[in-house]
Amino acid sequence: MLKSADDGTLTAQSQPGGGLERWAERHLRYLMLAPTVLTLLALTIFPSLYMFYAAVHRISPNPDLPWEFVGAGNFARLLSDAQFHVALRNTILFTVVAVTVEFVLGLGLALLLDKFIRRLTFLKTVLMIPMMLPPIAVAITWKLIYEPQFGVLNEIMYRLGLPLQAWAGDVNLAMFSIIVADVWQWTPFIFLLMLAGLASLPVEPYEAAALDGASSWRQFWDLTLPFLKPVIAIALLLRVMDALRLFDLVFILTGGGPADRTKVLSLYIYQVAYRFADPGYAAAISLFVLFVTIVLSTWFMKRMRVTD
Amino acid sequence: MVRKLFLTLAAAASALAISGAAWADITVLVPSGSEGDGLRAAAADYAKMKGTKVETVQAPYANVFEQAANAGATKSGVFDIVLMDDPWIPFFAENGHLEDLTPYFKNAGLEGPDNDFLSKSLAICRNPYNSGPYVCLPYVGNAQMFFFDAAKYKEAGVEAPKTWDDVLKASKTLTEGGGGRYFGYVFRGGQGNPVVADFMPIFWSYGADLFNADRSKVTIDTPEGAAAMKMFMALRDVSPKGVESYNANEVGTALAAGTSASSINWPNWVATFEDPSQSKMVGKISYTAIPAGTKPGSSEIGHWTMGIMSASKNKQEAFDFMLWATSPEQIKISAERGNPPVRASVFTDPELTKQEKFRHYPVLMEAIQASTPRPRHPKWPEIENAFGIELSKAVAGTITPEEALKNSQAAVEQITGLK
Repeated sequence: MLKSADDGTLTAQSQPGGGLERWAERHLRYLMLAPTVLTLLALTIFPSLYMFYAAVHRISPNPDLPWEFVGAGNFARLLSDAQFHVALRNTILFTVVAVTVEFVLGLGLALLLDKFIRRLTFLKTVLMIPMMLPPIAVAITWKLIYEPQFGVLNEIMYRLGLPLQAWAGDVNLAMFSIIVADVWQWTPFIFLLMLAGLASLPVEPYEAAALDGASSWRQFWDLTLPFLKPVIAIALLLRVMDALRLFDLVFILTGGGPADRTKVLSLYIYQVAYRFADPGYAAAISLFVLFVTIVLSTWFMKRMRVTD
Repeated sequence: MVRKLFLTLAAAASALAISGAAWADITVLVPSGSEGDGLRAAAADYAKMKGTKVETVQAPYANVFEQAANAGATKSGVFDIVLMDDPWIPFFAENGHLEDLTPYFKNAGLEGPDNDFLSKSLAICRNPYNSGPYVCLPYVGNAQMFFFDAAKYKEAGVEAPKTWDDVLKASKTLTEGGGGRYFGYVFRGGQGNPVVADFMPIFWSYGADLFNADRSKVTIDTPEGAAAMKMFMALRDVSPKGVESYNANEVGTALAAGTSASSINWPNWVATFEDPSQSKMVGKISYTAIPAGTKPGSSEIGHWTMGIMSASKNKQEAFDFMLWATSPEQIKISAERGNPPVRASVFTDPELTKQEKFRHYPVLMEAIQASTPRPRHPKWPEIENAFGIELSKAVAGTITPEEALKNSQAAVEQITGLK
């Protein structure tokens, strides 16, 4: 058992018959770690292993039929599955365009607010509201905005004498409409990180650059951007990882249509697992997405030298 | 102190939420909307009358299928009864998720459901279709009808549309005169279930079908299919812009707001169209049978049916509830709550038919009896998805109608393994 010494430190003192306590004392560090390890095992390790196990099996929706081992069969299906290829292409398109626009806007807003309107904290708070909203609320709000007959966007178009558009229904506009909604929600996230990065920049290099006659553009290019590089890397990495998992907006706004133009990987995984009752193949696609995310993140971190 | 109290309350609330269903004698999974609301109200009545606690779990349309499929695959027994859309029946029945009702009828001293049920309503509850044992009982008698604004059609020179050519003629005139704000026709063009559901009646009207009679061959890419597709594309051209993303709500709103003159629709929308608080078209919408093409028109049947999950631990109680809920008295109450009936006696009940809001009953009863079920295949959700993608592409104009038929044929052949 633990006993308090005169100097206030805790010392172990054995008692006759206290075998369990002695064992607990000897293994205290493991006992203290156990809750964390068990939680990790239950919430991360077990589901991941189970997903690997499911991915190499064909799982019938009939519970009386045994799981059939198919080895790499589910992964081989990825090569010939046209719907998977469409979803992959759409996911890449969405990720590249949405994250790029969010980054440019977020950085631009941060530079603007940091330099010119630093004191307007109210405006900063307002800009962050979209990020705080639940994704489902954002999706429903944009669905109402895009509604072709009664939506506010088409009402504005009508009043301006412009042709009405099927924002979420037109094959050429649907992905654009989803990107706009995502940009609206997540630009504040980039903005917030950039603002924090800008606030922590050292003043001296800028003073020295000003004395040397460097223009604002030169200062931004040679000082601000390099200083911000670690923050930019983290912001882009988090957004790319999140964009690869896009689901809510597509599910509510378009359901993957029209003509498969907005079908993304997460939606396809959901359909395969729950609509087509093929969880083995869904697990294989999920592992593919996980693999791509890990490879992309590692490459990106190395490229941006964040670890330095 | 406050923190402790908060934590205790949170834990208690979570425990209550998780075990809520376990308190019930029977747990029923129902969809959102009038069908689920009706059965939920019936469950409350049953609890009062019989003292049996019936818990209803309500979920959006697609989630009902997913939750029931999960419960079936894991044999969880969390649901005793599921209120199913009829095309799901082969999936649930052929994967062993549904209980054969034959022994329960025998125990009750019955040979099966009584003859007051419409024959087409009963046929879908047998698996295989119309020949196998009963695996469910019909509860909501949905079958599509043709909804149209008779005054507008008359203005366009068509008294009552009998054929798709009539519909196209009137719709073309109305859309051309609508200035981009009014349209002659509207349909559910959304990818997947919506576009397939609104195409199938047209497909059938031209003598086409997805499979041949013994389901040994896929028959989408045929001259009959091409004729149906040609009409579908012509109707698309007189529909609102963006129809390729429309689902039931958009179509219903277009009719209720009086911005479109006609559509194929489901009878549970009648209550909305006849409700002054939700519709500008009260008393103005007429209901008729699905128009003919080269063959007589046929509605798509879309009944909501109650089946007992095989893993249920309360099967007898579940059967008793189902038998009670589908009795003539209860189906009448359900009809008054806005759900189309499945019994002839309720369809012809003078107390109902004399009311304006039930004026569509004769047409609906005829529509059910002339209806066609969606192809009865355990992989129907996957087939519908593949067919729906190609139809959506054709509606959006990214591929030609011919390509849509050819691609659909190939996709369904691959899914079903038929050549």
